[in-house]
Amino acid sequence: MAVAVEVPKLGNTVEECLIAHWRKQAGEKVSAGEVVAEIETDKASFEVTAPVAGTVLETFFAEGTLVPVFTNMFAIGEPGEDVAALRPASAAAPAAPAAGDAPAAAASAVVEQKAAGPVPATTSPAGALSPRARRFAAEHGGAGLALPPGSGPGGRVLEEDLRRQYYSTARVSSVARQRLREGAEVQGAGSGVAGMILSADVGAPATATRISSLREKIARRMRESLAATAQYTLHTSADAGGLLLVRAKVKASKGVPDININDLVTWCTVQALVAVPELNAEFIDGRLHQHRAVHIGFACDTPRGLMVPVVKDADRLTAGELSIRMKALTAQAVGGTIGVDDMTGGTFTVSNLGGLGIESFTPLLNPPQVAILGVDAIQLKAVRREGRIEFIDSIGLSITLDHQVIDGAPGARFLKVVKEKIETVESLCTI
Amino acid sequence: MYDLIVIGAGPGGYEAAAHAARMGKKVALVEKERLGGTCLNVGCIPAKTFLRSSKLFHECGEAAAFGVKLGSVEFDMPTMVERKNRVVGTLIRGVDGMLKRAGVEVITGQAMLVSRSAVQVGEQRYEASNILLATGSRPAVPPIPGIRSERVLDSNTVFGLTHVPKTIAIIGGGIIGLEFACFFNEVGTKVSVYEMLPQIAMGSDQEISNRMLQILKRKGIDFHLSAKVLGIEGESIQFQDADGSSASASAEYVLNSTGRSPVVQGIGLEEVGIDFTSKGIKTSEQGKTNVAGVWACGDVTGRRMLAHAATREGIVAVNNMFGKKDRIRYHAIPSVIYTHPEVASVGSTEEELKSAAIEYKKSVVPMAVAGRFLVENEGGTGMVKVLAGARYGEILGVHAIGDSSSEFIIAAAAMVETEMCVADASEIVFPHPTVSEALREAILGVH
Repeated sequence: MAVAVEVPKLGNTVEECLIAHWRKQAGEKVSAGEVVAEIETDKASFEVTAPVAGTVLETFFAEGTLVPVFTNMFAIGEPGEDVAALRPASAAAPAAPAAGDAPAAAASAVVEQKAAGPVPATTSPAGALSPRARRFAAEHGGAGLALPPGSGPGGRVLEEDLRRQYYSTARVSSVARQRLREGAEVQGAGSGVAGMILSADVGAPATATRISSLREKIARRMRESLAATAQYTLHTSADAGGLLLVRAKVKASKGVPDININDLVTWCTVQALVAVPELNAEFIDGRLHQHRAVHIGFACDTPRGLMVPVVKDADRLTAGELSIRMKALTAQAVGGTIGVDDMTGGTFTVSNLGGLGIESFTPLLNPPQVAILGVDAIQLKAVRREGRIEFIDSIGLSITLDHQVIDGAPGARFLKVVKEKIETVESLCTI
Repeated sequence: MYDLIVIGAGPGGYEAAAHAARMGKKVALVEKERLGGTCLNVGCIPAKTFLRSSKLFHECGEAAAFGVKLGSVEFDMPTMVERKNRVVGTLIRGVDGMLKRAGVEVITGQAMLVSRSAVQVGEQRYEASNILLATGSRPAVPPIPGIRSERVLDSNTVFGLTHVPKTIAIIGGGIIGLEFACFFNEVGTKVSVYEMLPQIAMGSDQEISNRMLQILKRKGIDFHLSAKVLGIEGESIQFQDADGSSASASAEYVLNSTGRSPVVQGIGLEEVGIDFTSKGIKTSEQGKTNVAGVWACGDVTGRRMLAHAATREGIVAVNNMFGKKDRIRYHAIPSVIYTHPEVASVGSTEEELKSAAIEYKKSVVPMAVAGRFLVENEGGTGMVKVLAGARYGEILGVHAIGDSSSEFIIAAAAMVETEMCVADASEIVFPHPTVSEALREAILGVH
């Protein structure tokens, strides 16, 4: 027959205890005398043991809940036994935790408060506070509380420590307290009467804004990218002399498309993908789909966030044609008029942060694509040529690859091809 | 070698000197005239003594309405001046005793800063690790032809009057000008006030200053706003009125109350390289000047020309010079105009909040909501205005007009100082029946 174990009375003045931790969960077998739960008063913590051997049938309260003494806290018996009769009225029924009855709501509210409470986790690990201390902190200004040295076991901060500190140190003005609750932090000492912390001593509250649906999509894609692939990045650089020469020619000529450095690098990458089609691929459900046509995606900074327009069949385009297409898609992306077709179907992506002066970075893969090329800034680089030191314009290249399907050597070989294409761009593309 | 030499024994200097001495420091206080500075000798205290007499005289005229019948009532200027001197004398002796008890050495003479750690007084040179400049201010003299004539008084010389003038023209409708306008008007002088700005009591909340203008006009004071005094000749004043037309008026006396200038000349500031302009010595919130070891407080800083601001500034400076961190919070310094009715305020005005684009809630109640106000003031009028932040309800400013708002503004100052919100302040119990209950009603009225 199932037996219930009550919250013990741990002192004359103790009316309730906090469930700190369940060592055993419902369904676990325990022997007599084995610890099932840790409970705490504001002064100390205690272990509650199983009085008989059996199976823990149900734990009636969540961790973090304050439970009056002599209330049943868990039941032990044979699997399948009914514990409804042992379950205290203030506990939530396990099958219907959100049944809407007030005690259940109260119990879960405590847990939520614990989780969301603005405990000063930045100044001390949360574990350094006893649950009761954490509760006190959450109820008394949260982040505004400085943590005193703990007097508990292992330097653990007890509620008493916090309470003593709270009532003996500088107070916080009403306004400052409200701003602290909104997420602001105390900056420096209190400047008010007797060191009172005034609103001027509190920074502006952090602002929380709901992110846009595009941002949500980007966030999800980025998480998926990191979670589902084995990314690594290789860095190299290429002589950018040819790029600059072509760019200068474009500028000097009339009636030709305004091909910029990014267009040229993207075009060179397309040529490299034609030469090394292994990287013009997608890895889906254990299959590597290698594409013949190069649909090149390029990262585009828009007011709403990152977008990646795709130029279809880029391998069939001249540098000028690619440039025109990229500019058209960029304008649509920035203006918010770009169609879904122009945003999907990419087989490889180029991301250029060189224009912002970035010297090297780690692009994140755009799965299921297996590679993404990051284009860095053009910088002066010292090279030895025929025994002399010369300075050349050098463009950084950073490629991120999916190690699931592309090993280091093939990745490096591809990057070498990109580098060659860039360094010979003058002879490859005609204006 | 002193720990501190204070130059100037006004409420900034003498309080700072005593404070430092009580901290166990060796302190000297140099004063060229009498202890007490402007405040005690030719400022707050004498002016309030005058105003007390004029108020009583005026009230005698209203006594019948209270059920008190008097015979003929006369205003006796010499007796009033005598009383003023007695009050001032008592207070100065009080300061003297206080300085002695604290252990401050008082040196009489004109002090001159000769280095960052030395002061010359006559033939004698005194060394100190810290010097606090508290030289105060003097009445400003605007460039008006005839302003230096004998018939033009200022806030110093006005106390030398031996009779009640028939007419007086007051140049400047600021605090000093208004208080004297009130005094003279109550003792029977015909008063005209000439103010360059379109508003009297500039810096006050406009609703309050408008109300004051209304009340003072009703009491019989003439106001020329947006008016410029062009010249003074004998008993004639030429001025340009608001509409641009030139006019003239006659007055037995002229009172120049156009403001006060910090005393920055002739005290050696240039020699030591102290950063200052004609508007005052530049100081930090701790009272530091640009020269290490040299501090300043009070009117000479040109910040807030109020005795109580000077006192606080001096104490803040002393605390900082001897290692106790302290700073002054100007926004919570209350100010009072001792006109009849009084004006008292603390914190931001509605105009300041608007120009700083701070969103606020406002509550205005007539003083008459407090029973005691009706009891004390026959036919009196007034109001209390509370401004609170729109978001948190913190009390940002309190502005009151009506007797005796000067006595309860400190409650509002404490609320502003501690950033109390309307909800907090609503829990405070106000004594009944007092005029301060109008403040309570105004606070409760903020929604």
